[in-house]
Amino acid sequence: MEARELITEKLNDSQLRKNLDFAMSLLQTNRKKLLKDRYGDWEALREEGRKVKQNTLSRLPELLERFEENAKKNGIQVHWASDAKDANDIIYNLAKKNNVTKILKGKSMASEEIHFNAYLKKKGIQAIETDLGEIIIQLIDEPPVHIVVPAIHKNRYEIGEIFEKHLKVERFSEPKDLNAVARTHLRKEFQEFKMGLSGVNFAIANEGAIWLLENEGNGRMSTTVPDIHIAICGIEKIVESFDDAVILDTLLIPSATGQSITCYNNIITSPRKDGDLDGPKEVHVILLDHHRSDILSHKHYSKALSCIRCGTCMNHCPVYEKVGGHAYGATYPGPIGEVISPQIFGIDRYGYILNLCSLCGRCSEVCPVKIPLAEMIRDLRSEKAGQGSGEEILGISRIKPKMAEKLGFKIFAFLASTPWAWKSMLWGVKVFGPIGKPLAPLLPMIKQWTSCRAYPTLDASFQSQKLEGVIYE
Amino acid sequence: MKVYFFGTCLGNMAYSKALVSSIKLLQHYGAQVIYKKDQSCCGQPSFNSGYYEETRKVALANINLFDQPYPIVIPSGSCAGMMIHDYLELFKDTPHFERVQEFSSRVYDLSDFLLNHLNANLCDTGEKTTVTWHSNCHALRVSKCVEASKTLIRMLENVNLVELEREEECCGFGGTFSIKEPEISKTMVEKKIQDILSRNVEYIISGDGGCLLNISGAMKKMGCDVKPAHLYEFLAQRIGLE
Ligand code: SF4
Repeated sequence: MEARELITEKLNDSQLRKNLDFAMSLLQTNRKKLLKDRYGDWEALREEGRKVKQNTLSRLPELLERFEENAKKNGIQVHWASDAKDANDIIYNLAKKNNVTKILKGKSMASEEIHFNAYLKKKGIQAIETDLGEIIIQLIDEPPVHIVVPAIHKNRYEIGEIFEKHLKVERFSEPKDLNAVARTHLRKEFQEFKMGLSGVNFAIANEGAIWLLENEGNGRMSTTVPDIHIAICGIEKIVESFDDAVILDTLLIPSATGQSITCYNNIITSPRKDGDLDGPKEVHVILLDHHRSDILSHKHYSKALSCIRCGTCMNHCPVYEKVGGHAYGATYPGPIGEVISPQIFGIDRYGYILNLCSLCGRCSEVCPVKIPLAEMIRDLRSEKAGQGSGEEILGISRIKPKMAEKLGFKIFAFLASTPWAWKSMLWGVKVFGPIGKPLAPLLPMIKQWTSCRAYPTLDASFQSQKLEGVIYE
Repeated sequence: MKVYFFGTCLGNMAYSKALVSSIKLLQHYGAQVIYKKDQSCCGQPSFNSGYYEETRKVALANINLFDQPYPIVIPSGSCAGMMIHDYLELFKDTPHFERVQEFSSRVYDLSDFLLNHLNANLCDTGEKTTVTWHSNCHALRVSKCVEASKTLIRMLENVNLVELEREEECCGFGGTFSIKEPEISKTMVEKKIQDILSRNVEYIISGDGGCLLNISGAMKKMGCDVKPAHLYEFLAQRIGLE
């Protein structure tokens, strides 16, 4: 579907609008309340978080190597994947070697980014989700609508219907009953699995350990029950120490859900040791690049790699709230998606999502690691207009210049910097403004404007007034 | 005190009355207003679309025009933000930077200037009324002058200011955004209006022409009876300057 049609469809879906409105308000209110009640100096903490990430990113190659070395010492196997295909192949080969036909999955946006489920399906291997939200969208064959809460666009009644239809159970609508359905469904599945896959929230270089956060307790099934656990980790998830990870965790959770801590914190330091009664026998970490090094090499856009995937920029985005994540057509939606999706998948393919922003700046204001998201969205627009930083952006050479738009702004700049021309324009507005109304349907810009607004009163009379006491120069 | 007055492009085209009120307020509180007849626009339309070269051209025209060391006062937090903050970004690492910095340091939003530099003390002469307020996003987050605007409204004895539930949410104007994404913009402004209608007020006040044009235009089309008012027109009227 064309991007424009998709947006129209989402805007016309009144149930979707209601669900998003309700959910985003709740997430905003919870965060606001928690920060007010419990965090004395949130702004100072944000600054700390920003520094931790900037410092980490400036030494990323060294820290990645340190992570690899220490993880190996702990018995964890480390793999490097430069792109999506590499990562998928590594997992597929491990599955093949161990005769695995089904993989148990914890929530992971990196796995979405590499289109892991679809890749495996083609190879005859099934991926079974454990995250409640992911189960819901997997049952109806949709991608996540949000990076933290993947089924936030569905309300509990709709979820009850989905479970009834696909899991052949009674129709419930109470959250605790819905949870119970998912739990029973999953527990049945859990026993059969030999291989589990998860994401990573923080990979700690000094310890060679990975830290995973979740609220449901189902995710840890994919890291503890199967014999083999594979974790996909974007290279920007590296931090130097536990102390650094704690600062970021303290920023992440309130921002994401308005809680101060998640129900489960799983810190994995090694596979099962001699004498341990359970735990996987093998642990693999895949360090995924997928154009992250390209982003890192940019002087300007490298800040985007500070993202800790809290999703709060989406929760506060007035556009995201209206259209939902699917309208962006990209793995990463919302403000951070507008910044990274074009850089990971190509600005020629995803450049259009840069329009889905009124530059209100609320995302920059709430981002816990202070990424200047709105400014970057605007700067990426200038890359599209051929007036950017001059640094290479993936796919930029395939973008066709928009001649009409360019001409439009050239004319604007000429008018606004040439007094006689500007004054003639104002005169034009004064004379033709009032008679523009009947012409509105013929002029595309005015037509767009008046599609939902009355025709404005454009009298442009100020210029010709002489006010007492004013010095006119 | 001599001050330059920059009326903004939208002010000149659609808000003549608010500009007159703004000047009267400045004069009333002791400023001598200079109006440069060659003024135009701050350059936001091209800036927000990423056309930085064109925007620099417009910015330099402004910098050359307002060349004496007087404060430049603007009845729009959004345009003030552009000139105070975004001009610096635009000219970073260029030979013009120092001049731009000097220029930007002289730019003020009118509310901020009235309150903090002219120590305006507003004396309400109007009837009792209830109003609500919409914050322009750039006024809130870039020039950060919203508190000053609201403080001025709160000074009016007979005016009861009821806040919106989602005051800090964009109304969907966003300059070229409203033309490029009209459907999303429409949904956003409708949401804003829902919030406004739920407050049971007589007026919706905003300090920015863009938001006001958007909100009032949509309210008119929907047939709502809350009256839209430009902040400075409202203030001037309340203190009997008209
Ligand atoms: S960009 Fe900032 S607010 Fe958005 S998901 Fe990342 S860390 Fe959170």
